[in-house]
Amino acid sequence: MALLEVKDLKQHFTIKKGFLGEKKKVKAVDGVSFHIEQGETLGIVGESGCGKSSLGRTILKLIKPTSGDIFFGGKNITHLPRKEMKELRKDMQIVFQDPYASLNPRSTVRTILETPLIVHGAGNRQERMKVVEGLIDKIGIRKDQLDRYPHEFSGGQRQRIGIARALTLNPKLIIADEPVSALDVSVQSQVLNLMVDLQKEFNLSYMFISHDLSVVQHISDRVAVMYLGKIVEIADVDELYRNPLHPYTKALLTAVPLPDPTKKRDRIILQGDLPSPINPPTGCAFHTRCPAATPECKMETPELREKAMGHWASCIHVHPEQSTKTKIHIS
Amino acid sequence: MDALRYTVKRIFLMIPILIGISILTFFISNTIPGDPARLAAGPYADAKVIEELQEKMGLNDPVYVQYANYMKNLLQGDLGNSNYSHQPVMEDIKQYFPATLELTFFSMFITILIGIPLGVISASKKDKAADQFARVMALVGVAMPAFWLGIIFLLFFYLKLGVLPGSGRLDTGLTPPETITGMYTIDAILTGNWTVFKSAVIHLILPGITQAAVTIGMITRMTRSSMLEVLRSDYIRTAFAKGGSEKRVLYGHALRNGMMPIMTLLGMTFGHSLGGSVLVESVFSWPGLGKYAVNAITYLDFPAVMAVTILIAVLFILVNLIIDILYQVVDPRLNYD
Amino acid sequence: MLLELNDVSLSLKRDGKYVKILDEISLQVNKGETVGIVGESGCGKSMTALSVMRLLPEKAKLEGVINLDHEDVTSYSKRKMEKIRGNKMAMIFQDPLTSLNPLHTVGRQIEETLILHTDLNKEQRKQRVIELLNEVGLPRAEEIASEYPHQLSGGMRQRIMIAVAMACNPSLLICDEPTTALDVTVQAQILDLMNHLKEVNEMGIIMITHDLGVVAEVCDRVVVMYAGKIVEQANVKELFLNPKHPYTKGLLESIPKLGVKKAKLGSIPGMVPSPDKMPQGCRFFDRCSSAMEICKGKTPPMSSVGEDHTAACWLYEEKGGEMNGSSGSEGLEATLHN
Repeated sequence: MALLEVKDLKQHFTIKKGFLGEKKKVKAVDGVSFHIEQGETLGIVGESGCGKSSLGRTILKLIKPTSGDIFFGGKNITHLPRKEMKELRKDMQIVFQDPYASLNPRSTVRTILETPLIVHGAGNRQERMKVVEGLIDKIGIRKDQLDRYPHEFSGGQRQRIGIARALTLNPKLIIADEPVSALDVSVQSQVLNLMVDLQKEFNLSYMFISHDLSVVQHISDRVAVMYLGKIVEIADVDELYRNPLHPYTKALLTAVPLPDPTKKRDRIILQGDLPSPINPPTGCAFHTRCPAATPECKMETPELREKAMGHWASCIHVHPEQSTKTKIHIS
Repeated sequence: MDALRYTVKRIFLMIPILIGISILTFFISNTIPGDPARLAAGPYADAKVIEELQEKMGLNDPVYVQYANYMKNLLQGDLGNSNYSHQPVMEDIKQYFPATLELTFFSMFITILIGIPLGVISASKKDKAADQFARVMALVGVAMPAFWLGIIFLLFFYLKLGVLPGSGRLDTGLTPPETITGMYTIDAILTGNWTVFKSAVIHLILPGITQAAVTIGMITRMTRSSMLEVLRSDYIRTAFAKGGSEKRVLYGHALRNGMMPIMTLLGMTFGHSLGGSVLVESVFSWPGLGKYAVNAITYLDFPAVMAVTILIAVLFILVNLIIDILYQVVDPRLNYD
Repeated sequence: MLLELNDVSLSLKRDGKYVKILDEISLQVNKGETVGIVGESGCGKSMTALSVMRLLPEKAKLEGVINLDHEDVTSYSKRKMEKIRGNKMAMIFQDPLTSLNPLHTVGRQIEETLILHTDLNKEQRKQRVIELLNEVGLPRAEEIASEYPHQLSGGMRQRIMIAVAMACNPSLLICDEPTTALDVTVQAQILDLMNHLKEVNEMGIIMITHDLGVVAEVCDRVVVMYAGKIVEQANVKELFLNPKHPYTKGLLESIPKLGVKKAKLGSIPGMVPSPDKMPQGCRFFDRCSSAMEICKGKTPPMSSVGEDHTAACWLYEEKGGEMNGSSGSEGLEATLHN
């Protein structure tokens, strides 16, 4: 049984401009289904405005879903009352992009790490300190630094503190929303390595949200590609990167500049920008930029279908038998 | 078209606000102890006269009936009679309000003319002599009470030097111009009466500057901080990267971007001054709305108090509306919704 | 040679005292060449660019020589500097939304460069704006010229910034993280456009970025900076295939590469020293896995480690000394100065 299962999840916001302005609907998440196994990392990748962050927040129920179902450990938690949800939050934690903004600047690291334990009434002070000290040892922060404030640490250290805070209650799932995007590359790799180590040690599941395809490839077991609120492709990481089926995934992968001047690729350059999620295009939302679009794409909304074993894509022009022929090489 | 629709919408929104304000003022002034009838009748009136007067003034009706009557009259432009001046409040306001309006326009004009450039210079020469000077001036302006400054001005320019008049709106002996707007300077121009015009302007100088002193200080400080903020923006760096000179960047790019908070403050001080500056008007015996309001309160002249309150509310809302419309003129990012 | 920086140092006033941000930066840019400056945040790469443009905060102390077309611009007056900014050299910034004036139409913002540096009349300027908009790949140019930045998408805004910079056909274009704020598919469009413009206009380009992928894609030569100093310089292939400086090696090992799945990424322990607490000797010393005793006390000189390839590291000093005697002694002098 999957640890997390999401079925046809929708998150529609109404935005109202001004005092008497007209209402508009933004379909931030529009019918998303997937699952995450215990100990597995699912990467969610997409460009800004594709709904990947909203998806994370909806699953944690930081924002209420418009419709759909969320199962955690087999239990439907979509309409769980507040009290039970609080209990459940122990098992699902979030790590944010900006470690500085998400740590209270007026609290010491000790307080920051102890607070979740207090809130959930775990142990006495001595026991709590034992947990805290055990954690900071794992993230490479010394005991004598515990009484310092967040601004006394570097960006990488702060992000590690953010991760430690998420781990205090022994969660099963961590939703990491662009956890390394604000960090320099050398520090980014420190944090990524730490996350991999912690996953092994605690058998954690990660939902790793990022715009960076290389980072997602590095850390994920499976990857979902999002475009305008929908998952357009989902597959095992190696399969997805070696054999992308959806035209958008292909374009994304070839667009990433490779840190290797000897490799030249045929790049698929998409025309135009991401359409606004307020008025997404009809049919396949990608048809306005798709190099392979046909008139049908404008009419027909494609469904996410299994095109090969464990490889799902939503494009009417990708047929199961074809999927092996369209390999592209990115390495 | 958008602008028009927006304006109409906003004006409709004024109605509930005004009803709220009128109810609030009406009931508060009715619960204040003190008998308007007794005050109106004078200290030597006997009980019977007062009783009759109470009946006549409708003071014996339930409060909501009194309010309904008041609103009915208000909609017909009748604000009731002043218990003090014994003439329609409308007439009083027509007489006093233009004086305040004129003084306000004049002092705002000085404020904008001096305050904004001073703030811009202050920001562009941050921490240099010019900035220090401007900051001290602004501080002095804000810190000095208007009545004190007014008295100093009076002592110096009126009593000692005798170069400027110290009270009233015109030299004694001059007849006010024919009432068109009620503002003497403007009416004088309209009727081509230059003697009166000169006298009216001269009379505006001292109260105008006194009133402007505080606002100049505030506007200078606001302009400075707003400009400093803007000068840190990326597009200012872009403007320099294009090869723009400091002056060009300052006035061509920065000032308009820094206008928003300045406009907000200008609007607020403008609305505030329109209510009449009691202190300045008292010091310079300026027959304006502030003085009128103080009188009305002293004599529990409810119709006058109500009228002034509602007038000030309307003015504030109007000024706010104008500022909001100006925002959209300045910043294309704000659409009319 | 189009641009030459010779021992450029920069100090900025922070909390009342001067702090050295750049320390003896020397680099060259030829016509038609793209030179990448890479490094992590705070290494001084942006400040190097702003020094060339002389867009520095007040009370900045700039030393050394900056030759543009063989003329030292550090001695230029304010007026003279304004004449070449936006004209002979232009700059593109990271965030196109905040870098454009929100209250002016984009057409007006492009036109401003023309007003400042050309004698074109109003009609001609309007013509040129349309031309530029077409050049940077914006269709329906007339319409776009009268729109405001907030009405455009991120990619379009960066195209506008490029048009602003290209208006007077500069011989030097400085790009400070021009695609960092953009989505990857849009980044591809912009890099494509820049490569195209470079071929057409024969400009020298300085490309400042933290993204080694972008460097590999568009640069001819690369300068690696660390803590205010240049640590390595080479042509792009050489740098990626044969990095010499331990910092460069560490950087290259710590990025996840598309198509190559590794169990563990390399990483550099510790963090960048802050400018007011620069260590003596090699600034990378306490993070370096190959640090030696000498690194602690003496600043390593730039030495030649291959053809058109220099690195500032004591590991290569012996070899460097043989190949290029002068660089060693220069390094010693530098040490003495510190």
